[in-house]
Amino acid sequence: MLFRLQLGLLLMAILPAAVFAHHGWGSYDAAKPLTVTGPIETTKYENPHATITVKAADKTWTVTLAPVSRMQSRGATPEFVAVGKTVTAYGYPSTVEKDEMRAERITVDGKTVEMR
Amino acid sequence: MLNDAPHVLIALEQSGLAAAIRQSVWAYPAANVGHIVALTVFAGSVAIMDARLLGAFAAAPPADVVRPARRMAKLGLLLMLITGSALFTAEASHVGTNPVFQAKVALIALGLINAFCARRALGGALDSMPAFEPLPPRIRLSALLSLGIWIFVAACGRLIAYF
Repeated sequence: MLFRLQLGLLLMAILPAAVFAHHGWGSYDAAKPLTVTGPIETTKYENPHATITVKAADKTWTVTLAPVSRMQSRGATPEFVAVGKTVTAYGYPSTVEKDEMRAERITVDGKTVEMR
Repeated sequence: MLNDAPHVLIALEQSGLAAAIRQSVWAYPAANVGHIVALTVFAGSVAIMDARLLGAFAAAPPADVVRPARRMAKLGLLLMLITGSALFTAEASHVGTNPVFQAKVALIALGLINAFCARRALGGALDSMPAFEPLPPRIRLSALLSLGIWIFVAACGRLIAYF
């Protein structure tokens, strides 16, 4: 009896977690993908995600990239995303933070690196 | 960084320690992995302790299960606090203002109060409690609450990333 109750509690706690887990990118609007091109103004090569700001034609975007270890293993070194480089970022705009986007992939000097 | 976060959170996020955690390739992932491993130690020990209080493993006198499990739970909790502090420090302004994190802290406080109450209620009587005998209802209720609270704490921890 008590074990059934515990099992019930466990399921109650886990089920909503499983439902929400689908929304890891929930705060980014995948229905509105966009491409931003421009010079990199600032770079934060930091965990949990590297970020760069990109001066596009209309405004400056904050572009969220990937964890540092993944960036490194895929060749997106600090030099790759150094300030002044021209980057093209394809990704999705944040529904929470203004002028912030999460990159699916970035291209610098003709080389494309996946961020996911 | 969230500029409208409380000053203490901003100061923490701007500290040299926070920058070191963010700028290290391995510190943040190591804290992340350590936090999960510590969770298995903590949650496993708590679950064994609570299961005994609820009447499982009835052939063992309660003290024989509860005391060693409590020691492991304390070790797990200590490791969780250390690794969790590192994760929090790196992103203090974001995590500290996250409603799911705030709920998690409140639930942790509730879980610890519940544990202290159960410990007080058990007191020295734990050592003389025999096998096969149900524990007082108050203790069993506390054990059930404990299981529920810590499961929700774990769920909140994972959900911080989604809100």
